[in-house]
Amino acid sequence: MRLGFELVMMPLLAFVIGLLMVLLLRRIGARLQRRVGPPFLQPLYDVVKLYAKRTQVSHGLIHEIGIVMAVGGYVATETLLPVPGMNGLADKGGVITLAYMMMVPSLGLALGVGQCANPNGSIGIARALTAMLAYDIPFMLVIFGAAWVYGTTDLSEIIALQQHGAWGVERMPLLALAGLMTLPALMGKQPFEIYVAPAEIATGPMVEMGGKFLGGLFVMQAFQLYTLGVLYATLFLGGGENWPLFLVKIFAVVSIPMTIAWLYPRYRTEDMLSAMWRWPLLTALLGIAMVMI
Amino acid sequence: MNDRVQSPGERVTRTNPLAHVFDELSRFCRSRSLFILHYCTGCGAIELPPAMTSRFDMERLGIQPMVTPRQADILLVTGYVSVKTLKRILLTYEQMAAPKYVIGICSCTVNGGMYWQSYATAKVLKAYLPVDLYIAGCMPRPEAVITGMRALMDDIAAGRAESWKRYYTHYDHYLGNQQALFGENWQTPTDVLAEARHYGLLGERSEGEHTALLERHQQPLEPLTMRLRAPAGGEEKA
Repeated sequence: MRLGFELVMMPLLAFVIGLLMVLLLRRIGARLQRRVGPPFLQPLYDVVKLYAKRTQVSHGLIHEIGIVMAVGGYVATETLLPVPGMNGLADKGGVITLAYMMMVPSLGLALGVGQCANPNGSIGIARALTAMLAYDIPFMLVIFGAAWVYGTTDLSEIIALQQHGAWGVERMPLLALAGLMTLPALMGKQPFEIYVAPAEIATGPMVEMGGKFLGGLFVMQAFQLYTLGVLYATLFLGGGENWPLFLVKIFAVVSIPMTIAWLYPRYRTEDMLSAMWRWPLLTALLGIAMVMI
Repeated sequence: MNDRVQSPGERVTRTNPLAHVFDELSRFCRSRSLFILHYCTGCGAIELPPAMTSRFDMERLGIQPMVTPRQADILLVTGYVSVKTLKRILLTYEQMAAPKYVIGICSCTVNGGMYWQSYATAKVLKAYLPVDLYIAGCMPRPEAVITGMRALMDDIAAGRAESWKRYYTHYDHYLGNQQALFGENWQTPTDVLAEARHYGLLGERSEGEHTALLERHQQPLEPLTMRLRAPAGGEEKA
């Protein structure tokens, strides 16, 4: 009973917090450009509007299943992420399962975009999967290093260990730094958004998405931001003791990549690969070496 | 290629007691979240960057630029429309998802403006597709653009901005004007009459002599054959 309640509540909370994170990122972007930015409920208006469109152009079954996978993958991910007061499936899944689940949305998107048969979409998704190759290696090393330090892959246990001792960021500063360097790529933020590239390939994977399909992707983005914020806070910032502190941590984590996003021009795919496989990867390897010695 | 339009057509009887609440909510959200597709081939486009950036900031009103017709709500036609670009505008318009709105910016979209005597310019935009709002001026300042946007938002929230339905109910009229300009074998990939039927908007003025002419000239759309051209020296593969 309790578990069932948690399994419903955790994705719902993630959705609400994720929409707030989208708002936060858009506001930060606006303030950096000396604009006012969107109103408080703007992400919600966008999603409701997209789902309320009269025309919903589908390109076939796989197109629809792709979006369901993209959103469903993250809904499943949220149940594996412990939040204050709720553990969900965290103690049964662990961080390895979580890392696998986080790949499902990208693959679902690839399937869905494939059926749209739009060349811009195909180019976009090819770039997105290459980007995944770029950031997943340092990301996996960071997860591996953290699991090695804590001696467990159980996220709720990791939180308990940090709350009775030092935070992860103190015990493995280099790994935390590597994680932070990978974060913009994981979020698809500015220097690493070649796969969206609106002016070049017309938003890549999203090119044929309209109405509820684009709405699904907006929901997916909200979940994605939430997932990354919570995962980072769980591994390195002591997780959530209580809700207010937890929210401060996860919002701080997702706002860091956005505040530096517009310092860089957009990297090309090969530059992104060499950037990701050089600095975050080296930092992560050094971090692992430090904690193992 | 095999696009099909999915949403169910207008039901005559609505059994959900909350249907009007949902209608109200969706109208409100539509008015507060507008994705613009710029069709910026005219000079009016120069007034849009200031309207979007820090001086006037359209994102305050929930207005955002989008890049493909599938994602957009508003088709913004800025300035004069030549006969060639009008074809692209119509292709774009027909691909957009309903409810969709068209805004004509600058005098050129209203009556041809300074291109009145040009042989290559389509003078009156609303003869070829339904226009929700004109923002006149040569060129209108960002204040005027934003005032126009607010007027459109009010119309959407009140349920008055329904011009996309007019394209279906009066398709024969619009098609006639298009054929007068492009010749009688003009056709687009979209089957507008089938969409009108789907939305329950097929009226007595949807079909007529012009749609009959279209049917006579319409050729089935074939997918383009994919051809790979091998590097110089290699033979061409089909």
